[in-house]
Amino acid sequence: MIGLRQYLEQNNETKMIIFAGKGGLGKTTCSAALAYHLAVNEGKRCLCFSTDPQASLSDIFERDIFGKGEIEVAPNLYVVEIDADKRIREYIEDVKRKIREMYKMEEIPPEIESYIETSAVEPAMYESATYDAMAEYLAEGKYDYYIFDMPPFGHGVRMIAMAEILSMWVDRITDARKKAKEYDEIAATLRGQRVLSEDKVLEELYDIQRKLGFFKDVMLDRRKTAFFMVMTPEKMSILDTERALDMFKELGLTLSGIVVNQVLPSSLANNSSKLLAHRVEMQQRYLDEIRRKFGGKVVSVIPMFDREPKGLGMLGEVAKYLVNPPTAV
Amino acid sequence: MSEKRSGVFDKLKDAVKQVTYGMALHSQVTGVLKTRMYIEHLFTLMILGDMLGLPILPPYYSLRLLPYTIPSIKSWKHRFYRERDFTDIIYG
Repeated sequence: MIGLRQYLEQNNETKMIIFAGKGGLGKTTCSAALAYHLAVNEGKRCLCFSTDPQASLSDIFERDIFGKGEIEVAPNLYVVEIDADKRIREYIEDVKRKIREMYKMEEIPPEIESYIETSAVEPAMYESATYDAMAEYLAEGKYDYYIFDMPPFGHGVRMIAMAEILSMWVDRITDARKKAKEYDEIAATLRGQRVLSEDKVLEELYDIQRKLGFFKDVMLDRRKTAFFMVMTPEKMSILDTERALDMFKELGLTLSGIVVNQVLPSSLANNSSKLLAHRVEMQQRYLDEIRRKFGGKVVSVIPMFDREPKGLGMLGEVAKYLVNPPTAV
Repeated sequence: MSEKRSGVFDKLKDAVKQVTYGMALHSQVTGVLKTRMYIEHLFTLMILGDMLGLPILPPYYSLRLLPYTIPSIKSWKHRFYRERDFTDIIYG
């Protein structure tokens, strides 16, 4: 078990760290703890970003940060919990304002207005808005590390697949637009004129292409992005991790490592409480299975704590195990 | 006097230019602009297909382009919904 400190030392180009896995296993805890360690102990500028619709960074950092932008919760540690609904509302208002200004309209034509309104409530808008926010933060390049707390696995993977699809879509329509511009130029040349105005649509498309392209390149570059799966020593979690590994393979991604969370100390196996003793025995059995199946991939093992891992103090505790795990479990 | 003559000469030059353009290039320019219109409509379809009930990718980035496509939406829809018959082959 190398721990995340050693992993980051060995992979010193890493910029983005993504924790994925089933819901409720500790993705948010790991994201927050790693961000805390890198920022507070190593003095790196970190952005911890939650893309989960049921984000809980507010709870874990014990601060109300939902929809408030980048909030510094500790020196160098910035946290963002995106309010996608609010972002969509602002975006829609921006589009409407632009239309009113461009065409000097008091009111937007009802047909256009209803198109915008129906688009706004499409479920994919939520994901796109979150995705766009992630891409925007990364393109700004203000931080040393970007730590993304992904939504439960299915969505998380879709988010990665979306990088590819969206970039492809933007590339296609940019090509179509470039073709249109070529024809404009030919017609103008034949008439002995010159195309004076720059195509605003093409400018917008280049801007989207730049942002998405950069994000996609970082996300799919294994030197720059690390994916960690969080799991617990339970059968369901093992099966889920196996499926996730297949999905990673399909997407051409490499799993950087596995973090096993909520592990009860083996010394409790002799506890007088039967429930506890059974639970420990079960966990030990599954830990063996994990070692057998994913052995080399396990980077850290985090114990079950006697308290909820909330607040900066507890995150520091979790971080100790995450970055520098003791050799024996 | 010479000013008047050069004015007439300019007008004549312009007229010859226009006639040459009309004879040699106008139909070519019309053809190019027609192709340009098809591409514009195809482009609008790619980003606003939803407006006609054709599912397209998440509309997030399409909405960013919507303000610029507004002037061509009417003609695009008109062309899309237009009835077509065999004379289209001849007149496009």
